[in-house]
Amino acid sequence: MSEESSVTTNRKLVLPGDLMETKSKPGKGIFRSEGRIHSSVVGYSSDKSGYINVNAMAGRYSPKVGDKIIAICVETGPSIWRMDIGASFNSTLHHSESSWKVPFGDTARFLAIGDAIWAEIFMVDAAGSHQISLKKDDSRKLYSGTIVKVNPTNVPRVIGKQGSMISLIRENTSTRIQIGQNGYIWIDGKGEDIALAQEAIETINREATSEGLTKKIEKLLEK
Amino acid sequence: MAGQTDIELIKNGIRMDGRKPDELREVKIVAGVLDNADGSCYLEWGNNKVYAGVFGPMECHPRHKQKADRAIVQARYTMAPFSVNDRKRPGLDRRSSEISYIVSQAFEKVVMVEEFPKASIRVDMQVVEAHAGTRCAAMTAASVALADAGIPMRDMIPACASGKVNDVVVLDLNKEEDNYGQADLPLAIIPSTGEVVLLQLDGHLTPEEFELALELATNGCMDLYKKMRIALENSHGGKA
Amino acid sequence: MSSDSVSNLMKGHMESLAKEGKRADGRGINEFRKVKIETGMINTAEGSAMVHLGKTKVLCGIKMLIGRPYGDSPKSGTMMTTTELAPLADQSFDPGPPREKSIELSRVVDRGIRESRMIDFESLCIEEGEKVWTVFIDLHILDNNGNLFDCCTLAAAAALSNTMIPNVQHGVSDKDVKLTVNCWPISCTFGKLGDSVILDPTSEEESVMTARFTVAHDENGNLRAAQKGMNGAFGNDEIKEAVKTARASDNVLREALKGIQG
Repeated sequence: MSEESSVTTNRKLVLPGDLMETKSKPGKGIFRSEGRIHSSVVGYSSDKSGYINVNAMAGRYSPKVGDKIIAICVETGPSIWRMDIGASFNSTLHHSESSWKVPFGDTARFLAIGDAIWAEIFMVDAAGSHQISLKKDDSRKLYSGTIVKVNPTNVPRVIGKQGSMISLIRENTSTRIQIGQNGYIWIDGKGEDIALAQEAIETINREATSEGLTKKIEKLLEK
Repeated sequence: MAGQTDIELIKNGIRMDGRKPDELREVKIVAGVLDNADGSCYLEWGNNKVYAGVFGPMECHPRHKQKADRAIVQARYTMAPFSVNDRKRPGLDRRSSEISYIVSQAFEKVVMVEEFPKASIRVDMQVVEAHAGTRCAAMTAASVALADAGIPMRDMIPACASGKVNDVVVLDLNKEEDNYGQADLPLAIIPSTGEVVLLQLDGHLTPEEFELALELATNGCMDLYKKMRIALENSHGGKA
Repeated sequence: MSSDSVSNLMKGHMESLAKEGKRADGRGINEFRKVKIETGMINTAEGSAMVHLGKTKVLCGIKMLIGRPYGDSPKSGTMMTTTELAPLADQSFDPGPPREKSIELSRVVDRGIRESRMIDFESLCIEEGEKVWTVFIDLHILDNNGNLFDCCTLAAAAALSNTMIPNVQHGVSDKDVKLTVNCWPISCTFGKLGDSVILDPTSEEESVMTARFTVAHDENGNLRAAQKGMNGAFGNDEIKEAVKTARASDNVLREALKGIQG
């Protein structure tokens, strides 16, 4: 019915419903219909290593086991905390996934509403609910600095090729920065240094697809 | 629909506003116009002006509406008081409720709701100026907003109406044609398959006229679909 | 961003920046965000305006209909203000009947316009005791990034400034005339953030501030309306300081409004 037929399948901007002419196996952002493969979102296609994926340009964070994220407490329960991670649903942190000894009903004393943590997604079940853990690696509660939110699809841009962009920002602002895969980013340092780093990150978020972004950020950081 | 034929809405194959029977009014579509919404669209169609905004997928409120195995689409269509010449009282009326409901149903056909159990996808359509064909304009804008929000879908849904004035089947009625014409047929389709997800008829058509009206509206939808694609490409600085 | 949660860290950061006269978005504590005003875009309305205040966007439409005057002012037109918190403007704007937030907003904007005598109500009399014009100010919030008070007041003022009384359509006379506007009330809204007072809060700042104060001045520097909101408090000096700041800072909005006069 539609005039849209085949599109070359790597690094092309595709829209929902677009047919992907490829022998690769379907990955994310893809659906199957009558034996053929179509994109389900607006995004750039990536046809590599036998898999065809479409990286959506927008969308809430989709938790994956092992992702390092920043989470903000939005509710406390007797033995759990409900955490906002920018996904469709809030996540759960069970007291047994923290290294604290939490008496039943006393959770708010350890992590209160509004408190933030650097943690890891440790479980995602078939129904889509997910849990985080404060026990892995350098997971910890955050006590200073601030949190900036960007579109999760722009996280790679904020990091840059082999970390080049984020190193540029860190060095020029003397700040500590930890980037959550969920697009929540922690910045710590002196007040005005944090403000400059925040401005750089928010600029990247706004103009992620435009040309000359690196130059623009370099210029901004020279302030 | 007044069905009066003494008003000359079409003369020598040219309509009051200068269009031919199969011509669409001018349409302008811009994606990503709002900052808060996960996805958004501003659409001008003739003198119609509509904003659409999408939030989600997110937790379903109210809880009792939530479905265990899929997301629900909660669409809402409202018209601003100043969108019509005779000021409209704020809030939902029966017509808006009906449109909200059928639009929700139509989107549940294309949005991949199975991927988000227990969630809700909220679609809000605000008509700020109305000149006939507002439900089609709203639905088209909502489709673009859903794509802009990154909601996975099988396809987008363009919507367009055809009708009959002075016994001639025409595409895309304007306000006068809607008021004094003889039939109004809004249609929404899935471009890749041609499936109809919304169809209403107000007025009267012979079976032959109906087929012609259907064909005209379908072509209108396909034209619209091209513009929807361009709007999304432009907002992401690329060409698909 | 979709999520509403603001961490306590952000709160602490914003409070300490404010102590140094700065904001998270790089503004000074007494600085308005960028303003953009467009008018006359809605053909079905007698007057209209769209205002962008930073990312906050409000569309205002003016409709004028013939109605009856109030018993105690038979020669005066009337006005009514409504605000629609459109669900697309903010994830927390649930569809449904107006809540306190929406009602407070429309009442404050209404007072700013009504009590400042911006509209010349006497000029809206068609037939004493029988027929007068009713001015409907309908504010449609399209995008909420904080400070709906100032954005709405500005949108209403801009829309009223290009309103044509629809005499011809309603058979009142054979010519449409411009609605007479007596003065230009401009409102300035402040927030208490920690120990500091900031002008024109964003929605993030609104979620951590403890009190809100709105004051409207006319072009002669006289106060026309004031309202304190939320459950925190301002010191006496802070209020006086804010009023002074408002008079100095509202130029930006006033210039933008003058700019659309043509």
